[in-house]
Amino acid sequence: MPNNPSMAAALVGAGESDKIGFVPEKTSLMLHAEAIKNAAADAGIHIRDIEAVFSAGGVPGMQSPGLAEYLGIKPKWFDSTTVGGSAFVMYVHHALAAINAGIFDIAVISHGESGYSGGRRAGKGTGQTRGQLDPWAPASQFEAPYGLAGAPSSYSHAMNRYMHQFGVSKEAFAQIAVVTREWAGLNPKAVMHSKETNPNGGPITIEDVLNSRVISWPLNLLDVCLVTDHGGAVIVASAAVAKSLRRKPVWVAGAGEAMSHSSMLAMDDFTRTSASVSSARAYKMAGLGPRDMEMAMIYDSFTYTAGVTAEMLGLRPRGEGPTLWAGDDARPGGKFPVNTNGGGLSFSHSGMYGMMLLVEAQRQLAGTAEEPGIGLPGRQTNAKVAVVNGTGGSLSTTGTVVLTADS
Amino acid sequence: MADYNKPIPEADPYVTQPFWDGAKDGKLMLPRCTDCSKVHFYPRIICPHCQSFNIEWVEASGNGTIHTFAVQQRAFGGWAEEVPFTTAFIDMAEGARMLTVLRGVDSTNPQSIKIGSKVKVEFEKASDDISVPFWRVVE
Repeated sequence: MPNNPSMAAALVGAGESDKIGFVPEKTSLMLHAEAIKNAAADAGIHIRDIEAVFSAGGVPGMQSPGLAEYLGIKPKWFDSTTVGGSAFVMYVHHALAAINAGIFDIAVISHGESGYSGGRRAGKGTGQTRGQLDPWAPASQFEAPYGLAGAPSSYSHAMNRYMHQFGVSKEAFAQIAVVTREWAGLNPKAVMHSKETNPNGGPITIEDVLNSRVISWPLNLLDVCLVTDHGGAVIVASAAVAKSLRRKPVWVAGAGEAMSHSSMLAMDDFTRTSASVSSARAYKMAGLGPRDMEMAMIYDSFTYTAGVTAEMLGLRPRGEGPTLWAGDDARPGGKFPVNTNGGGLSFSHSGMYGMMLLVEAQRQLAGTAEEPGIGLPGRQTNAKVAVVNGTGGSLSTTGTVVLTADS
Repeated sequence: MADYNKPIPEADPYVTQPFWDGAKDGKLMLPRCTDCSKVHFYPRIICPHCQSFNIEWVEASGNGTIHTFAVQQRAFGGWAEEVPFTTAFIDMAEGARMLTVLRGVDSTNPQSIKIGSKVKVEFEKASDDISVPFWRVVE
């Protein structure tokens, strides 16, 4: 029987790129580097102290070695597991295992993605546009002929099936966007914080969501995450090192990962994700259950993603996921805060958002959410136990971690 | 045919040729495992149900039901001219599932389209070699 790696590692610092949202002057690598600079400073380490690099974005082809090269470090462990926006949460699982095995003490998990501005530069200079798929690939033969246009056009099928199967309304999902926007109002870095940060920022209502442009019915524009530029990073350290650093360690109590399919062509049950499996693994390692959780960071690529995940994590009964946002619990000041940074819906979503779930969870549990430059009064919650779930691909892959504050 | 302006798939001559040959003749061909007898889709050289590599092609009934659908308001290339159009995942009578664009529905009124409705496959000639399967609501 292998030993249980629970609490063998902790998140000891977090940071974002200097600017978030629309940053045309920075490439993905620059956004990475700034986030790592800020996370290392938060943890009180030097970048050269980093022994392991976990990264999957912004460095085509060579991913984590490409990032290490840019930073000028030569890590003893690199991991570029590329499974969509859930990858970053899985990296915590991977780092925990390696630290528990004694292979390294300090790792960085990083993401930089010029998700908005990079696309506008593509094709200029010697820049390559996105590579064409192999014409014999399944998606080329059996998906491309039918006119789908990106993630919203496929996720909408899942949302419709869920609404049909459980009799859940579009209003119930719209409420998720409304509550998430309230949290963005407390985060000055959130793209949709206010009219000052974006002409479309500030509070929204259910009617605003329902009246926003239909992208792929039943998904409206305000059911869909932002497309932005950002970098984010967290430092992970062994228990011994974590106790020697300046921040209160945020312990990795449990971690798990799972998949149900890769492309939606092979999605069996549109009303579920593998988060039920990855969270069961994480809860088991932690020796905790959904009722022990005090807050949640849930990947919200779409209102549907967040809603269905709430029940996959055991936070709500089957078919009632969106009700997590129905009362006051998930709101600012509520007893079960959810997506306290403003989420992918209203804070920032560069294409792969999972990194930002970890940055925010670390801050909430380290008690730094209101530090100058990081947040505003009202953001810091009292939560001491958080469940964090990333979803990647087409509702395909999930990574879950259970984090606990230092006692 | 000459005016077919949507993406035209290319057959993989080593694996999916029977599917596209069938489509050209107006037949829906599905890969079936000779060990566990289950069909699967998209076509593979391995059965995803039992991991056997013994796959044969069988003609399907062309009957199915709508598992779920979405109405697309944004698309690219030739499909951009068709918005709004309705994409759907079809539960085929033989047990596998397939993505398609639905025919015989009013895409301007999503509420009028019903999950579970019966559908029948049909083929549109896109080139000399390729006919693309679409599914039409028949009730």
